Amino acid sequence: MKRREIMLGALCVASVASLGCSDDGGDGTQEVTIRFAGVVGTEPFVCGETYDNLGADDSSLEISDFRFYVQSVELKNQSGDYVPVALTENDWQAEGATLIDFEDGCTDLGTEPMNTTVTGTVPTGSYEGIRFEMGVPFEANHDNPSTAPSPLNLTSMHWDWQGGFKFLRIDSGTLSPTDWRMHLGSTGCDGDQLSGGTTACSAPNRTEVELESFAPESDTVVADLAALVEGAALDENQSGTPVGCMGGPADSDCAPLFNNLGLPFAGNAPSGAQIFFSVD
Amino acid sequence: MRNVPLILFLILLGAGCGSSDAASAPEEWVWDIPDTVPLPRIPEDNPMTPAKVELGRFLFYDKQLSANQTQSCGSCHQQELAFTDGLARAEGSTGELHPRSSMSIANVAYAASLTWANEALVRLERQALVPMFGENPVELGMANMENELLRRMRDDPRYPPMFADAFPDEADPITVDSITKAIAAFQRSVLSFGSKVDRWQAGDRTALNESEQRGMALFFGGTNEAGVEDAFECFHCHGGFLFSQSSDDEGQVFDQKFFMNNGLYNLDEDGSYPAGNQGLYDLTGDPADKGRFKPPSLRNVALTAPYMHDGSIQTLEEVLDHYARGGRLIESGPNAGDGMLNPNKNSLLNGFQITQQEKADLIAFLNALTDEDLLTNPAYSDPFAAE
Repeated sequence: MKRREIMLGALCVASVASLGCSDDGGDGTQEVTIRFAGVVGTEPFVCGETYDNLGADDSSLEISDFRFYVQSVELKNQSGDYVPVALTENDWQAEGATLIDFEDGCTDLGTEPMNTTVTGTVPTGSYEGIRFEMGVPFEANHDNPSTAPSPLNLTSMHWDWQGGFKFLRIDSGTLSPTDWRMHLGSTGCDGDQLSGGTTACSAPNRTEVELESFAPESDTVVADLAALVEGAALDENQSGTPVGCMGGPADSDCAPLFNNLGLPFAGNAPSGAQIFFSVD
Repeated sequence: MRNVPLILFLILLGAGCGSSDAASAPEEWVWDIPDTVPLPRIPEDNPMTPAKVELGRFLFYDKQLSANQTQSCGSCHQQELAFTDGLARAEGSTGELHPRSSMSIANVAYAASLTWANEALVRLERQALVPMFGENPVELGMANMENELLRRMRDDPRYPPMFADAFPDEADPITVDSITKAIAAFQRSVLSFGSKVDRWQAGDRTALNESEQRGMALFFGGTNEAGVEDAFECFHCHGGFLFSQSSDDEGQVFDQKFFMNNGLYNLDEDGSYPAGNQGLYDLTGDPADKGRFKPPSLRNVALTAPYMHDGSIQTLEEVLDHYARGGRLIESGPNAGDGMLNPNKNSLLNGFQITQQEKADLIAFLNALTDEDLLTNPAYSDPFAAE
């Protein structure tokens, strides 16, 4: 824990220092920081707080975890073309994935440090839009998690029975079997005995996000839990399935949540694009 | 490159140690497998060594691998029950019931896929993470406690030297990766090819009595008293050296993962099984996968009751009745429906006529698949039992 704080401190110093430099270090690139914020409707997310009026039944939930991975982050330049953000390797970013972590360890399955930014470099210029996916790149997603670098080495984010990671993890209460939870990742994956690896997943479940008007220096990507559960009856549960949605295609409680992420569910196309992420 | 001088130094150092060098070199693993059985597939990054298997045996039986230190892998995989637990559904360290019944780990080195219905799990090293860190259901309950787990291993005076011996090339051998590798190596060492049927197949014509021999003939496609050839169709799903068609080995180049619906349930016109326990469908969402599970190995089947993925059939006799009918009829209650009519049911399961004698012979044969040595072999036993 100490080591991580020191490293984060060092990163802050480094980024402050970089602000002092000119935008391009002479190599045609500039550093970029993309800010994320977790909210529940109009309120900021605070780990362990109870939020009301959620979903179709106006449910109240004490939200105790709120984390997700993002990948393939790209910014839209003045010509309207998307260019990839080259991620800075650090405790929160590795192998093309960034863990956005709004929880502060308010339950046993969390971690005290939080992360609300994607940091990296892009070609020098100004940018006015963003797109990314909520997920972990295929190769990293199915690699051996026991030897993966941070932030892919967190067993609370592993989804071993599906052979990958939880792309999104939201928990409520004390994480008992009766508490509402949502875990999402790739499902229907196939393993290969010869290589030991995963060959394909029938439901990749990577949420595609495009926010056409987004200025990295002034705007924030907002993840709204209230929007995620819009229309979902959180007090009800399909008998015999986990409370909430553990990403299983056989759990009908997942259907409205997948729809709000713009993901197909059980063969049905979503009604539109995702509504979980927006710009503030 | 920077490591080269250090490595050279270590080699020179080793050479200087004379005979002790030979003593510290990892011993070769020697398989004790009959000629009729192929070698298992061993991942390149996890070769078998006696030191690693021994470490894996301790870890397999060590309750420090559960968060509240009440359970080990061996709690649900008990040697005297052929590495099952006698329960219909397994119970985790926090009391949460698993939807499924504990499977035997005997000969798991040859499993084409692991657990009852999962195409993604093909390596024991990866599968071990599920009971350790899984949250749905909680088994050993170690999610987010990986550092605590490693601390327990470092603080237990038994383990640092064992890890060092098992992973001699690792500077810091106590890792989650090492733990899963050692447990996988131990599991691969748990072999069971010592039944009366094996002795018969090796040429010992005294190994099986007449009833067992008749049962074997019926199992492998014999004609029943009603005059139907291959009346019972057993070996189509439970054939091969594992008595499961879902098998893999060192020389296998084809994907032999195999899942089928055997007509246990039929809750609706889609052939649904009880929600949350629908086999491959729970992972794929494909309605044709409803009720598709892996046919388990029938080796030691006399010891692995109750039967089926949810332990819903108590005895081998009832299992035969189920197949004789061609599916199970549940007349009332939440699971009511006629499994015989399940649209996903395997086409070989059309029911059959069976006499009491044929039933007795088949069960005698199944009982002859028990390997007594498996149940008492000290190499597979709980090292903490004597402590």
